[in-house]
Amino acid sequence: MTMQTKRFSPRDYLEENPQVRKLLRITVVIALIIIGGLLVLAAIDVYTWNGFVVRASKSLVNGLALSMLLFLMVSGFFLIFGLCDVINFAHGAFFMLGGFMGFVIYLGTEAVFLDPALPFYLIFGANQFALSVTAFIVSALGAAAVLALIGGGIEFFTIRRLYGNPIAQILLTVGFMFVITQIVEIIWGPSQFSYFIISNSQITYFFISGLLDFGGGLQFAVYRIFLIFLGLAVAGLMFIGFRKTRIGLLVQAGIEDSEMVEALGTDIRKLFTIVFMLGAGLAGLSGAVLVPWIGANSGHGLTYLIFAFVIVVVGGAHYGRLEGTFFGALIVGLSIQFTSYFIPFLENIIVFIIMAIILIVRPGGLTGHE
Amino acid sequence: MKNLLEIQNAHVYIGSFYILQGISLVVPKGEVTLLLGRNGSGKTTTMKSILGIYPPKEGKIVFKGEEISNLPTHKIVNKGMGYVPDTRRIFGTLTVEQNLVVSMRKGSSREDMQKRLDLIFDLFPDMKGFLKQRAGTLSGGQQQMLAVARALMNENDLLLIDEPTEGLSPLLAKNLIDSLDRLKEFATILLVEQNFRTVSKLGDNYYIFDNGKIVHEGTNMSELIDDKALVAQYLGVSI
Ligand SMILES: Nc1ncnc2c1ncn2[C@@H]1O[C@H](COP(=O)(O)OP(=O)(O)OP(=O)(O)O)[C@@H](O)[C@H]1O
Ligand SMILES: [Mg+2]
Repeated sequence: MTMQTKRFSPRDYLEENPQVRKLLRITVVIALIIIGGLLVLAAIDVYTWNGFVVRASKSLVNGLALSMLLFLMVSGFFLIFGLCDVINFAHGAFFMLGGFMGFVIYLGTEAVFLDPALPFYLIFGANQFALSVTAFIVSALGAAAVLALIGGGIEFFTIRRLYGNPIAQILLTVGFMFVITQIVEIIWGPSQFSYFIISNSQITYFFISGLLDFGGGLQFAVYRIFLIFLGLAVAGLMFIGFRKTRIGLLVQAGIEDSEMVEALGTDIRKLFTIVFMLGAGLAGLSGAVLVPWIGANSGHGLTYLIFAFVIVVVGGAHYGRLEGTFFGALIVGLSIQFTSYFIPFLENIIVFIIMAIILIVRPGGLTGHE
Repeated sequence: MKNLLEIQNAHVYIGSFYILQGISLVVPKGEVTLLLGRNGSGKTTTMKSILGIYPPKEGKIVFKGEEISNLPTHKIVNKGMGYVPDTRRIFGTLTVEQNLVVSMRKGSSREDMQKRLDLIFDLFPDMKGFLKQRAGTLSGGQQQMLAVARALMNENDLLLIDEPTEGLSPLLAKNLIDSLDRLKEFATILLVEQNFRTVSKLGDNYYIFDNGKIVHEGTNMSELIDDKALVAQYLGVSI
């Protein structure tokens, strides 16, 4: 006779007892609701009911705005990773540089139209709104274009030689992160300095600067609401582009099997360059349109690179799912804003706490496999 | 020009492994050429080196009278090759229709597409029914039809088809072979097939691979089937 030394395993036990598992699941859900309720009650107690409503709605609006822009930024990161298998450590730096490009191009455009020596002087006359809208559009598209060129250039001249060599790629993109950050700091100084459009503008007017006031302290910056819709619109365009255009379909197919795409006759290297341009362009665009809100700052490179990683892992996007980045961005954006209003001392670490919890509960992320 | 494709003494490495050790073969225009041999003998590698995925280190590959050995893959296939890979490799997240769209070469028109689709539906009438379905949800037989259809989306002179009946039931395999038989009138075919008896009526010429070398070639499939010693030596099931 042999000794049965079967160790007790909670996982096996739950596997064999579906009723217990069901009960456990219900208990966990109830416990979460109770904890959430208690947190809400505590918040109401601390901030009063009115204060709670104000903070909660501001967190929601800011959180959604941040999420949408994070989604655009991370989509670029995701595309480059998905199609080219390159983890682009310079992506945060692309975003940060996009912010500075947006800032500079905005003020530059403004200056061009305000310079009496130039022929554009009379176009807008005293119409500051039209001038500001124009400067904003030029700055957003301009930043996207500059970053697309930089991203495409980096792919074409360096990364292209290193496909299939992940270590070299990591070193290379980390190198570009440092180079871009260093150049920005030489020109604009270290991360203690943030650059905002309004305080540097000649006309000190920005086309959306107002507050939407519902009384009782319930105010929302209109620009952030605008960002939600802008983010949704760009995301929608991207989505349609993926489904309906040949190149979008080729990118999707290439994410699955790039060698097969090439064996069917597509120049995959060209597609890689295009996707690098697109990915870097998205980073530049999101950086530029966030500048009126968060300012341009050389420290954003590292911060947003970390956000990108957390979003991809939390969303399960590393399994090739774009929806994953969307959910990941929502969770990261909302949790950052809610903690900043309710538990400020957690603001800088909340994303890591959430990442840890989600990875423990679902190791594959929200949309990934177990 | 009698031979559509010629491989002249090709030596192919995968990484540092020496896989194809000087093979030479010809694929006559309008005929079906079979590559036979045991698992791991080098048939798939031969196709991939024609496609430029593993270009030969030494030797030449000539397609339509032009050397293609050093061209990138997309340039090679755009000269008129369609590839049906061994594990199908359809794009599972796309629909069947989208799989066909991405397989069409740049610059093809809507009429081109319709023409190709007509041919495909003629060969595989069932495909009409699952055109809008996500390819990842197709059955094995349907996936194989799609993999062949993808190679037919362009007017190709040469089709490289690698083990199309693998994993199919005998009936599905027979249907597929019948379809390939009808394809003969549109294109030259280079076909890899483990189960050479099922394709014996299809093949005009054959090459037998063993350990990265061509050990036997011929033009008469029924003679091959009767040559028990040869079959046992190179094509029999090894345990
Ligand atoms: N990526 C690779 N790296 C190293 N060796 C490889 C690689 N791919 C194939 N080989 C080797 O090359 C040899 C030939 O493989 P190949 O796939 O061409 O055989 P095959 O004749 O197609 O076999 P099968 O009938 O199993 O498909 C085998 O020994 C295989 O192990
Ligand atoms: Mg094979």
